[in-house]
Amino acid sequence: MNSVIEVASLRKSFTGRDGTSRAVLKDLDLQVGAGEFLCILGPSGCGKSTLLNVLAGLDKVYEGQARVSGGRVGYLFQEPRLLPWLTAEGNLDFALDSCKVEPSRRSELKSRYLAMTGLSDYRDYYPHQISGGMAQRLALVRALCVEPGILLMDEPFSGLDEITARRIRSDLLSIWEETRKTIVFVTHNAYEACFLADRILVMLGGAFRQEVRVPIARPRSYDDPAVFQLSRDVIKAFGDEIDREPAPSAIPLTEPSLVDDLDRHAAARMNI
Amino acid sequence: MLKLLSMVAAVIVWGLLSLTLPPEIFPGPIETARTLWGEVVGGQVWTDLAMTMLRVVGGLVIALMLGVPVGVLMGLSRRAEGILDVWVMIGLTVPSLCYAIMAFMWFGLNEGAAIIAIAVTAAPSITINIWEGVKNVDTRLVAMARVFEASRPAIVRRVLMPQIFPYVMASARFGLGIIWKITVLVELIGRPNGVGFKLFYWYQLADMRQVLAWTLLFTIIMLLIELLILKPIERRIFAWRPQVAV
Repeated sequence: MNSVIEVASLRKSFTGRDGTSRAVLKDLDLQVGAGEFLCILGPSGCGKSTLLNVLAGLDKVYEGQARVSGGRVGYLFQEPRLLPWLTAEGNLDFALDSCKVEPSRRSELKSRYLAMTGLSDYRDYYPHQISGGMAQRLALVRALCVEPGILLMDEPFSGLDEITARRIRSDLLSIWEETRKTIVFVTHNAYEACFLADRILVMLGGAFRQEVRVPIARPRSYDDPAVFQLSRDVIKAFGDEIDREPAPSAIPLTEPSLVDDLDRHAAARMNI
Repeated sequence: MLKLLSMVAAVIVWGLLSLTLPPEIFPGPIETARTLWGEVVGGQVWTDLAMTMLRVVGGLVIALMLGVPVGVLMGLSRRAEGILDVWVMIGLTVPSLCYAIMAFMWFGLNEGAAIIAIAVTAAPSITINIWEGVKNVDTRLVAMARVFEASRPAIVRRVLMPQIFPYVMASARFGLGIIWKITVLVELIGRPNGVGFKLFYWYQLADMRQVLAWTLLFTIIMLLIELLILKPIERRIFAWRPQVAV
């Protein structure tokens, strides 16, 4: 299997206000094969978003190696991050322009992915006119229509209600089965990870603790007892540690690229 | 509709209040309107109005040219913010009358000096608006654009500018409100024409009918600009914004 993502001895630390440094990524090694669906499962503040930012090229300050090949990187954030002054189609055009996708292919790409996510009739709607679930679908279309080889997803469905999230997860799987993009999906939801992934890496305190292969055959059904069973085992094995994970003591200095981690810390506190 | 009703009500209140004083001290709406009509028919109004408008527009354009870049700079750079914020505060504190006197003393009693005084008075409040706006820029959208490989100029043009533009619009409006008032003051102390000059002229002759007529004219022109120019522009540009229902 040829790897499209190769990470070796990746380290990163943030310096707190009092000058102490806190390691967020501790010597990570990671290979992701072409067409693989990998989930990184871990609690808030474990460093999973930081890892994703490094892979996406948003964060360039780190030690060690992080190499991403196999084409363009698509990224789905926790929030849709649509430009509110553009229509649904305008938002897609923004991404297509930015990535310099050939003009002749654009309309076909847009139609294809809008149809896959059931948004064909909403091209002319502004983001505030559609629901949160639809906005996140649109963000997924935006990530897909630039034809990424690799799709990075940062807890993309955690802000949605469970029913909506469920439907989008199923849609994501069918899109993935059709397109076979490499996906790295970060989540704190064990059930979601077991339902989606080929392989789960459990991440705690900036390091991978364990690799879990998901032996469940595809296509999967959301209510499959095997998914439930596996997620229960994962939670049983790591749930305690996840709970005991100390709240991050040093809040990183505010840099634009750390906005995501700050959000995550705030979220962690609210969960407790 | 409500707007119209409230305006009619205000005119009625004016009419009733004016009954408490003799008409040469506090003329009612009908009498004021008649005086104004006399001035309009006389044809003198247009030169003064045009001169005032010229100063207002010139002052606004220069104030925006000063205020917007400084505000953007302060929003983007901590260092610029640290150096400049005290100056913006000082600029905001100095009374507009001082700017007007300084401008006329240094540059002479001419049109340029008047417009400079107007622009310098309005610029700090425009700067503050833009500064706040740039600080409120959603950096998450910038991160999004970077993920999609948008170039730096493209990010500025397609992600930052649309976010800053509402603040430019708001500060232009806000600046205009200030500029109307300063212009009248500047005309009063240093120009031989314009609405402010006329107001002062009639005040010296103690002709309240004329004073109120000119005030009325000025107010009407202001309202027309607001309703016929600014509001439609705003509605067009911000069509994407959700309607807020409270």
